[in-house]
Amino acid sequence: MVEFRNVSYTYPTGQQALDHLNVKIEDNEFVFVVGANGAGKSTLIKLILRELTATEGEVIVNGFNLSKMKARKVPKLRRTIGVVFQDFRLIPNMTVYDNVAFALRVIDAPTKYIRARVPYVISLVGLTAKAKSYPNDLSGGEQQRVALARALVNDPQLIIADEPTGNVDPARSFEIVDLLKAINACGTTVLMVTHQHDLVRYFGGRIINLNTGAVVFDEVIGGADEAQ
Amino acid sequence: MRLNSFKYLVKQGFTGIWFNRVNSFASLCVMTISLLMVGISVLLSLNITKMIGSIESRNEVMVVITEGVPENNITLLGEQLADTPNVSEVSFKSRDDALAELLADMSEDEQSLFQYFSHNPLPDCYMIRVSDITELSRTVSQIERLEFVEMVKSPDDFARILIGVRNVSAILFSAATVSLIIVCFVIISNSTRASVYARRREISIMRYVGASKSFIEIPFFVEGMVIGLTSAAIAFGLTWFAYTEVYTMFSTDVNMLSIFGLSALIPFDTIALRVGIAYAVFGVILSALGTVISTRKHLNA
Repeated sequence: MVEFRNVSYTYPTGQQALDHLNVKIEDNEFVFVVGANGAGKSTLIKLILRELTATEGEVIVNGFNLSKMKARKVPKLRRTIGVVFQDFRLIPNMTVYDNVAFALRVIDAPTKYIRARVPYVISLVGLTAKAKSYPNDLSGGEQQRVALARALVNDPQLIIADEPTGNVDPARSFEIVDLLKAINACGTTVLMVTHQHDLVRYFGGRIINLNTGAVVFDEVIGGADEAQ
Repeated sequence: MRLNSFKYLVKQGFTGIWFNRVNSFASLCVMTISLLMVGISVLLSLNITKMIGSIESRNEVMVVITEGVPENNITLLGEQLADTPNVSEVSFKSRDDALAELLADMSEDEQSLFQYFSHNPLPDCYMIRVSDITELSRTVSQIERLEFVEMVKSPDDFARILIGVRNVSAILFSAATVSLIIVCFVIISNSTRASVYARRREISIMRYVGASKSFIEIPFFVEGMVIGLTSAAIAFGLTWFAYTEVYTMFSTDVNMLSIFGLSALIPFDTIALRVGIAYAVFGVILSALGTVISTRKHLNA
């Protein structure tokens, strides 16, 4: 569960990114966050990941009150969140398997669990045949699926997808969102930030539209895929 | 932390050295040169201290005994001198021995002058040596207060010069060593910062997936320690080779140092273990600290 209670954030430069924002995302929801550049989408993500701390108000994520959280507790919070970025952020000198296993290794997971869990998650994103490949040998869509597998491998409560289709061709974009929908169907909350309105229109669901740090639209719309 | 995770992190440290081999090599070179500079400075300091010490130990203070003192009182004075603080050596020189020594240094013409003396004009005396030349004047005044002491002849000017040289060299070498350590630390943390910067992406991914600070730091720490130990080994080898060459040059064919009245250099065998440990400790501490401080900058970003 993610809750923003009257949250404001002002950068040290004086620029106000969020202005008394009130948003609540329940467990198991799938939410699209849209908005123009400078609307506050990135700040919203940084606040959820506790990269930034709200200058006013309270941010609650997966039961953690981030406004009162000590820095040493941040890794605990992040272990409950999977993050997918537009630029994939894979480690180039590691294979697909190692990139996914990396997320488990850094949280000190047992080797036996890693050996069982990683191939399973790789199979979920359809990359079993490419497990030994390096990121640079994969297409954009495949790299994003590796990033998705890495986000998923810890079995997080929440997945944040920051423009996950930004570097992927249109056909593959739909596959990525399909995958996120499938993950959501298994009980994981998904928050996807996007500029691609065609995807939002196609899949529908809850849409939060931000503008100059405030919510201008927060509704559930029907998608084209439901109509079909 | 699980043993497997620890092994993984150590392996990552070694992998990091290989993947950042250019930076690692640069760090290794900088580290080796820095350690060599500190090592050379310390070795020079040790040798100069030893030379000054050997000059000090040759200093003799003459304690002249009052004329006509009975033999048992002379023995008593010898015991008092031996008990005086800072006195390391006491030897009695009778007036006959002193005359014989003096005559031995004279030509026959000069010796003939002594036939005009009806008796030996030289006094009995004690020759003493002090362990700390900086305390010479205090020791002399203590001895002057003893009974049966006519006068004390000490090399005050020489002592003053020696103390000056020793103090200046101690200050210079301490300052040089401390400055070199600071310079080493700055250079090393800068060069490791480049290595950490090259891996900032990896660090940021680690942070996003919930890695603890120590988990992120350990591979860099291992990397720093390996580079530090390797540099220490190289610096030790180079020091051994160079020092042995210099030692041979000064100690064999022409003992140049003895020409100037100085003792020979300290043999490397006697200090090898200490030099090796010092290099290893400095290498590991400097590079590990440099690495961790550089990593922390990215961790807090």
